[in-house]
Amino acid sequence: MTSSQPFTKILIANRGEIAIRIIRACRELGIKTVAVYSTADKDSLHVQLADEAILLGDAAPKESYLNVDKLIAAATQTQADAIHPGYGFLSENASFAAAVESAGLTFIGPSADSIRAMGDKAESKIAMKKAGVPTVPGFEGLETEEEYRKAAKKIGYPVLIKASAGGGGKGMRVVNEEGELAEAIEGARREALNSFGDERLLIEKYLADAHHIEFQIFGDKHGNLVHLFERECSVQRRHQKIIEETPSPLLTPELREQMGQAAVAAAKAVNYFNAGTIEFIFDPVLSTFYFLEMNTRLQVEHPITELVTGIDLVQWQIRIAAGEKFPFTQSDFHQRGHAIECRVYAEDPSNGFLPSTGKLLQFIEPRGPGVRVDSGFVTGSDVTHFYDPLLAKLIVHAEDRSAAIQRMQIALKEFIVHGVVTNIDFMQAVLAHADFAQGKVSTRWVERSMESGNLAPVQQQSAELQNLIAAALADVVFTGSKSQSAVSNETDPFNPWKQTNNYRN
Amino acid sequence: MKITFDTQTLEINPSGDNYVASMDGQTVSVQVLRADATRGRMDLLIDGKKVTAYVSSDMAKRWVTIDGQTMMLTKTSGAKKGVRHDHAGGLIAPMPGQVRSVSVSAGDVVKKGQTLMTMEAMKMEIRIQALKDGKVKTVHAAQGQTVEREQILIEMEE
Repeated sequence: MTSSQPFTKILIANRGEIAIRIIRACRELGIKTVAVYSTADKDSLHVQLADEAILLGDAAPKESYLNVDKLIAAATQTQADAIHPGYGFLSENASFAAAVESAGLTFIGPSADSIRAMGDKAESKIAMKKAGVPTVPGFEGLETEEEYRKAAKKIGYPVLIKASAGGGGKGMRVVNEEGELAEAIEGARREALNSFGDERLLIEKYLADAHHIEFQIFGDKHGNLVHLFERECSVQRRHQKIIEETPSPLLTPELREQMGQAAVAAAKAVNYFNAGTIEFIFDPVLSTFYFLEMNTRLQVEHPITELVTGIDLVQWQIRIAAGEKFPFTQSDFHQRGHAIECRVYAEDPSNGFLPSTGKLLQFIEPRGPGVRVDSGFVTGSDVTHFYDPLLAKLIVHAEDRSAAIQRMQIALKEFIVHGVVTNIDFMQAVLAHADFAQGKVSTRWVERSMESGNLAPVQQQSAELQNLIAAALADVVFTGSKSQSAVSNETDPFNPWKQTNNYRN
Repeated sequence: MKITFDTQTLEINPSGDNYVASMDGQTVSVQVLRADATRGRMDLLIDGKKVTAYVSSDMAKRWVTIDGQTMMLTKTSGAKKGVRHDHAGGLIAPMPGQVRSVSVSAGDVVKKGQTLMTMEAMKMEIRIQALKDGKVKTVHAAQGQTVEREQILIEMEE
């Protein structure tokens, strides 16, 4: 093992855009890659791009991407020396990290102990208080419905039920009154088991009007640990982020400094190394913040941090895992410009943001200066109901916030997705909204704005003449339909019907 | 020729090198500047104004994107109203996915808001709840079954 090539071969225990992101980092470091896949993903981009690919099993996550034994067997079989878990699936599963290490492989992430300490809410809260980090009022380790009922009463409704092992809004439910409690617990448990292979839940006060501001932290195995500033992630639906940006328009340099220090203290309290994120709930009125949880993995929205700090987080994850020293200190990092990420989801905003599945008839990504697209799909790909509805992450970087918003609006316009309904039009509506421009978007803003009509669900209006013309002409121009007798008599060489034949060659 | 999408009928005919399109008394001239079938892209000149359109076809459905706005149109045989099955008396799947659990069977008396079934897609769970008090007539989907969007899951007695 040389310092220029930390590992020989890495198995990526994930799928979609993040698997591809990791494959690219490995290639740049001269490391071979092994993709894993389920039967539903046999023709996926990550399978095509990796040096090798191993079929895990059926589409259901438990048979494939959540199956620890199969993943480790695949790594052993292909003689990989490390496993990168990506995000979601087993990325925050301490037993998986431990199993990887016991098999003589390196887990590209924090230690199993750090994951366990932060994954277990009781342990993490004690650790956070000790480290001087403020926490949200709540309870953990409850079992029976009666215990939850008592806890909720004590905290006061609304309360939040969420998966202890959770993240990304999976296995999370807001409970406004006692009548909704039992079902919320049952549903959250099932989602948690399915998404993370772990059904433990916790309950805490639901802070309705707060912002979600998180800090990226990064550390090596030699005790060096820095923060890489914040990400403002308050544009959410169903507790899942849609748009993230950095810097946050809400933070003053003093607050940023304070929260950054708290984030570093929180991570150090669990002897953290590799990439991690400290999530804070931020009250914009009082300018107070609470530790919400730590995500002990790479985040979906890591690219915006990469763009403003200029470092490649995934490459450094790999190098740190191999034991390299992180050569930077806190004062080496500055925020340069402004970055925004929009998550393009296969979902229908006018149908309650419910998933939309199907074959991608057209998938054209935007390009241009300061535009980055991390995606796992191409034209012809199937979007199935088995996995996350994330189609692509559209990320832009510009000199300042308003330039970044403008760049994003244009890039979104140029993103063509046909075959499944997406939230592209919806994100345009958010970006164009005065509340977004003023940084007034709290985590409940989308839900409330949809209810009040402040942000109308994007309904399909009746088609304009130009839409109908385009649809009608496409039939003839693209497919060379013979039904147009008037046209087949044409002899003009510049006639567009004729041109069609050339395009079809 | 006449082409109907959903409830709107367009008349479009070649005229020299170009086309003339009309709908609801509005008539425009259309020129195809260039077309790229692979990307489903057309540059049109509609009454002298350049319009770039992306169009994809899936059976009778047409996905059209113009200026960043995507719309789905359905080609129909005539100008009749789009037929959408009335589901006032029943419950349909709001998304494609898999049935996780079924908590009622035919003949059960249910209350408004009661969860009758749960569905899951893309790791998200949703509850199928009774729209009003009533009696279950038929349950059309079983646990573990994969269902399409708008498939009837449960019928209620009138």
